[in-house]
Amino acid sequence: MKKVSIYRPTSVEEAIEILSEHGTEAGVYAGGTDLLIRLKNRLKQAPSYLVDIKPIQNLRYIKEDEQGGVRIGTATKISELAESDLLKKKYPMFVQAVNLISSPELRNASTLGGDLLQEVWCQYLRGGYSCWRNGGYLCYGAIGDNSYYHSAMGGRLCYAVYPGDAATALIPYDARAKLATPSGVKELSIEQLVPGDLMVDGRIQSHVVRYNEILTEVVLPPPKPNVRASFEKLRPRGVWDFSMASLAIALELQGQTISDARVVFGGISGKPYRETAVENFLKGKTLAAELKDQAMAVALVNAAPLKYNATKIDMAKGLLASGITKLSAAA
Amino acid sequence: MQLIEGIFFEPVGCLAEFPPGPFLEISSRLFGRKKKTSASGSRAYWHLLNLIEASGKNLDGPEKEFAEALEMQAVAEAKVYEDVAPALAELKKMGARLFVVSSLSDAAAKSFLDRHGLNEFFSAVWSRDNARGIKAAPLQAGLAGAFLQPERVMFLADTLESLSVAQSVGVQSILMMNDPDEARRLAMHNPSGGIVSLHELPDFLRVVAAENSGQLGTVRFSSGGPTEI
Repeated sequence: MKKVSIYRPTSVEEAIEILSEHGTEAGVYAGGTDLLIRLKNRLKQAPSYLVDIKPIQNLRYIKEDEQGGVRIGTATKISELAESDLLKKKYPMFVQAVNLISSPELRNASTLGGDLLQEVWCQYLRGGYSCWRNGGYLCYGAIGDNSYYHSAMGGRLCYAVYPGDAATALIPYDARAKLATPSGVKELSIEQLVPGDLMVDGRIQSHVVRYNEILTEVVLPPPKPNVRASFEKLRPRGVWDFSMASLAIALELQGQTISDARVVFGGISGKPYRETAVENFLKGKTLAAELKDQAMAVALVNAAPLKYNATKIDMAKGLLASGITKLSAAA
Repeated sequence: MQLIEGIFFEPVGCLAEFPPGPFLEISSRLFGRKKKTSASGSRAYWHLLNLIEASGKNLDGPEKEFAEALEMQAVAEAKVYEDVAPALAELKKMGARLFVVSSLSDAAAKSFLDRHGLNEFFSAVWSRDNARGIKAAPLQAGLAGAFLQPERVMFLADTLESLSVAQSVGVQSILMMNDPDEARRLAMHNPSGGIVSLHELPDFLRVVAAENSGQLGTVRFSSGGPTEI
């Protein structure tokens, strides 16, 4: 494992000072379920200075705000999200999703912030290949075994998929993220937080968080009435694995008419893939299982699978059919 | 990787899919080789270059005319990749100097550019005629002609031979990963980098430029250039 020094700041401001001092050599350490493995894998972009934010008191909470929304500190454990009665009551689809993240043991350690900002799980990167995210200039996933963890929707330089589930499930709720930065608080939508295909401070990464910024809070707006939502995930193994394809779908209803829709696929692209073509198709339609065939026809028409992963698109469309059927049955 | 100032393109295989037939015909008629029907245009072309090199002779007189006529036929049948024109336009806009560096005849290389409307993107064309040689010779002529340092130049390669030529000259060998199986084999030969599509080349240059500048910030790929968030 790469040798590291650990700082234990007690405030966000102190943590930002330390991160600013060490530049890209430092990184935020919370649950460690991603970071420590990156260190163990001796990845070139893994930090040498860890800034442990666990001692910071005000980053681990789930609380209702005055408007009826919910604020979540990003050091909150995934298991705490899964067990939260408040979240179960207000955002059941999000809880459904976090229960499918990894294993119970890892959910006890990993945090919401870590899930949102985790590194990709490409086997070539983790195997120490000199790829775009590890000091090289070539994507081995694009030409090697890309059955599981690589994009079927095209890519730019790195073809690994964004692996997180929480972001996929937060987007349908129009959740927002807050970043503490040296110049104050920055607020972004989750789509803006993990847009994929970018280089930040010399590193190719899926998210926009800079070396001296800390993701501190996720804000869920008050749940809308008459929304039905569902999350489903297909994995190479039944448990403990990243999605080959996942779907978060939320339909807002007026009577039986769909007045608004959110359709977000995970595991198929370098970012949570919001499928606005399906959303637009669904709006104004009467919710019924029969919609699934037409929805599948308009979904993912821009797919660009690699040699071994066209099945991801079939899986994603299957999840769409399943989601629509499930939500219409709940009527 | 050092800051890239120039990019060398071999049209065969890197800008267009060429038919193998004409190159196989030249190999067969001038060097007595059996035609391999399964070869790609690119492999047939580089195989022909190996034969020319091994024979130690320059194509002159009737042989030159015969080869050139078949090369023109290959050019006429070549299918330019759909990402070529937009990628070249973006590279040019970014200030990269682009060159055709090819072992085709001068007439064939220029006909290729004319036929496909690509002339405007290239600063110069180096062929086996004006470079007076094949394989490494056009690259060396291109470097000398444009006063470029080899480590600041990319050469796109899609065969083992073209990779080897790039490495022998010292330019950055960038693997065109058109066929994943072939690319996987070629990736074992230590190319400097690789791209799946020419669309990625501008982003490749942005990454290298950002690394060399040492400046921190955000570069969003393929959205018209660096964007600060």
